[in-house]
Amino acid sequence: MEFFVTIEQFEGPLDLMLHLIKEKELDLFDLDINILTQQYVEYIHAMEQMKLDVASEYLLELATLIEYKSKKLLPNEAAELDDNYQQQQEVDLVNRLIEYKKFKEVSIKLDDLYQERNLKFDKPQSEIVNQWIDINENYESTSVYELIKAMNRCLKRFQLSQPYEVNITQKRISIEDRKKQLKINIKKFNEVFALSNTMYDCRDLYEVVITFLAILDLVNENVLSFTIKDDEVYFKKV
Amino acid sequence: MNDLRPIIEGILFVSGDEGVSLSQLSEVLVINEDSLVELMDSYMTDYNSDESKGLEMLCYGKRYKLVTKAIAHSYCQKLFEETSGKQFSQAALETLAIIAYKQPVTRVEIEEIRGVSCDMMIRKLLARNLIKEVGRLDTIGKPFLYEVTEDFMDTFSLTSLSELPELPEYQTVSEEGELFY
Repeated sequence: MEFFVTIEQFEGPLDLMLHLIKEKELDLFDLDINILTQQYVEYIHAMEQMKLDVASEYLLELATLIEYKSKKLLPNEAAELDDNYQQQQEVDLVNRLIEYKKFKEVSIKLDDLYQERNLKFDKPQSEIVNQWIDINENYESTSVYELIKAMNRCLKRFQLSQPYEVNITQKRISIEDRKKQLKINIKKFNEVFALSNTMYDCRDLYEVVITFLAILDLVNENVLSFTIKDDEVYFKKV
Repeated sequence: MNDLRPIIEGILFVSGDEGVSLSQLSEVLVINEDSLVELMDSYMTDYNSDESKGLEMLCYGKRYKLVTKAIAHSYCQKLFEETSGKQFSQAALETLAIIAYKQPVTRVEIEEIRGVSCDMMIRKLLARNLIKEVGRLDTIGKPFLYEVTEDFMDTFSLTSLSELPELPEYQTVSEEGELFY
């Protein structure tokens, strides 16, 4: 048994009908609706057997064709008015086929023009131009609220671009704190030590003064006793 | 006037695939459009007849641009890896053809001729800037009207719509026709 599958891509029911007309060598201008309908139905059946989804457009045209055919088969005793109506439908279909055929044919010519144009290359606009402002650009007037929105966006962006505000201020050590430091420091010192020893970690005059005041306090609290010898003050832990 | 030619060539080179319109050129060169058309016509003829030149001056869809001559195409293919250019589907071509010949036209009118839904196709063509919406038809539903764009003209090598290939003429049958008796 011969088995062949042809899946041609049709651009819709009209395209399919034109294909059938051509294949069966029917005359478009003297169209036998019966043969066309028969072929069309067969094709739709074949599509269904191949488990292809048949688009609704095909089914619509199928229904229309069957309507033509069934009317033709019925005894023609109907009023002449009906006859005209039926004929008008046939004429409509043929005219639609002709109209579609025109555009189908001309689209092939368009494709030729496209292929021809494709042989000629153009290049993108020179890159630098993107950075220029097009003087011919159309500026459409928009509402003032757009302007406000734009301004708000600018402000937000400006804020984001600013660094966080940071104030760095030097915290000065207090006499009390210095006393605590000294109490720890002097544990490492010898039994007797000079005033200059206590100042080893002072970085500026302020700290020297603070240290001196702290020492005075410690003497006052009887933590240290002192003696002066050769322009140097010596302390002794009590 | 002849000294404008190198300037024009330069402008066209820089503009690339964007091309320049007549009005842009006339504004930049400070020359009225009528004499510019005259100048451009003769310049194009001279330019394109110079066989030593690899470039060709085109004016499709009212925009002038420089392109390579078709003769270079096959050699360029040798130089660069061949990637098949974007092709149009039959459906796209049919839809474009209907719009180009019948514009301005609504979606329903296109669908009547093609017998299939064209909604997606129209959106695709809009996205490719080959067609544009040009207002709405004053009827029920106020449907959009579509026309082809300058890009369409350039894509299909058309200076104007009058250059479209002629629609094939078929005798449409009428009710009185004897064809059905």
